[in-house]
Amino acid sequence: MDESTRKATRHWTLAQPIVSAFVTSVVRDFTARDDVLQEIAVAVIESFDRYDPERPFIGWALGIAQNQVGLYFRRVRRDRLVFDEQTMANLATAFSSLSADQSTKLDHLRDCLQGLEGRAKQLCELRYQRDQKPAAIASSVGMSANSVAKALQRIRGQLRECIDRKSAVEGAS
Amino acid sequence: MATDPRQLISGYCDESLTSDEERQLIDWINESQEHAQEFAKALLLHDRLRSEVGAMAATSQMAVPTPASLNSTRWNRWSRSLTGLVSAAVAAAIAFVVIWKGIGESPASAAIVELNRIIAASAQSFDRTFRIEVEGGGQEKQSAKRPRPTERGRPPKPPMNGAILHIRDGRQFVLVRTEFDGRPFVTGSNGKTSWAVRPDGPVRSSTDLKRFSHDLPGHEHSIPLFNIQEGLEGLLEAYNVTLQTFEGHRDARSSDGDPVQMIIADRKSKSYRGPSRVEIRYALQSGHIQQMRFVDMPYDKEPRLTLTMKLVEEQKLGPDFFDHDAHHAPDRRVEVE
Repeated sequence: MDESTRKATRHWTLAQPIVSAFVTSVVRDFTARDDVLQEIAVAVIESFDRYDPERPFIGWALGIAQNQVGLYFRRVRRDRLVFDEQTMANLATAFSSLSADQSTKLDHLRDCLQGLEGRAKQLCELRYQRDQKPAAIASSVGMSANSVAKALQRIRGQLRECIDRKSAVEGAS
Repeated sequence: MATDPRQLISGYCDESLTSDEERQLIDWINESQEHAQEFAKALLLHDRLRSEVGAMAATSQMAVPTPASLNSTRWNRWSRSLTGLVSAAVAAAIAFVVIWKGIGESPASAAIVELNRIIAASAQSFDRTFRIEVEGGGQEKQSAKRPRPTERGRPPKPPMNGAILHIRDGRQFVLVRTEFDGRPFVTGSNGKTSWAVRPDGPVRSSTDLKRFSHDLPGHEHSIPLFNIQEGLEGLLEAYNVTLQTFEGHRDARSSDGDPVQMIIADRKSKSYRGPSRVEIRYALQSGHIQQMRFVDMPYDKEPRLTLTMKLVEEQKLGPDFFDHDAHHAPDRRVEVE
């Protein structure tokens, strides 16, 4: 591996969580998201010699991500892009402005997930492990789709609070 | 009634929003950078949840038996750390690229990436001039010697070989061909009207933008020569693309001295009417196309032809260049169809 590729891989490893979240925000199918993310990784490594080190890497990588997402939606017409170009650009800016802290804080997520119990744990597993939507989850757990959607919102809120709490404790110590 | 933004974001994550709610969410995101950041933070968590829950299930820290999943033991056995899976896949892709880079040729995915870069470079707004060369002569050669009227008694098409094609932003073009007697025959479009300036007779103009683009090969399928961007995007669907480098070839340089690379696109299926192969030479640094070769390209009712478009120059051609007025004397009569 040459020095340039080593540098590119290092940059990419740090940027990947943010780029991955950006892709997830527009390509909502998890499997398709993985494919697009791979294509972005290839593009980043391939074109790393055109990256200007004076500028933030994350912004550059998100530019490539936008191109790849655009290509994906042109190629796979069965999927639907909810956001228009302007919104995509605003989101890319928003993702690029997230501090590294935001991503690091999420390292507490596993601990917080271990605190989930009963129905909350079950819903989380069905949504994120099995990639089921509220309507499908509803039929397997005997709830209405609306109740599942609200419960998922509540669970994510609880997890967010848990992460913030743990981060604050860590910051204070 | 306006919905709580947090509910909209959550609904978006779970793909349960109505189109009206999606509209509300888009408006909310675009209202301020703070809103966009709030959305981004929520999606960061949503994205990480998928990785973490998958990873924990793999180590049995999370998997929950449900009535519907009592028979899911096998599934769980196969479930893996999604973080690991995605990272491994991305790492494998990177390794693949690194290895291929080492031997001077790239895999299809890298070719697609490069094609994407060329598409982006083609979208830049400067004017380009190409010279068209038809290989082998074929029907063109015959026609040049002995022009024959077409079935409807129309005069034969002027030869495409040696034609000059000016293009701007994928909608405007000027095609200058030379009649058999040496006089120019110019067709074009300024994006609002299309037009034809014959050597004699009235200038013809139409609001049907395709009216005078039929003489340009490529209109029969999705690779119109005057809209390079659209043509390249068409390649992504119907062609297998590979990348060819010219390392060590000193003459493989663009007019700016940049190294040149080539993308080769081979048609996937004969059921697609486009050329059987498209070869695109482009400057490695800028992504600007230097030459495009279309093999066995359909051309109206003529036999298929193989032609090459060679870049002559990239420069601004003036605001009126794509209007017909710029290509004939002011006293010529204009017929609007």
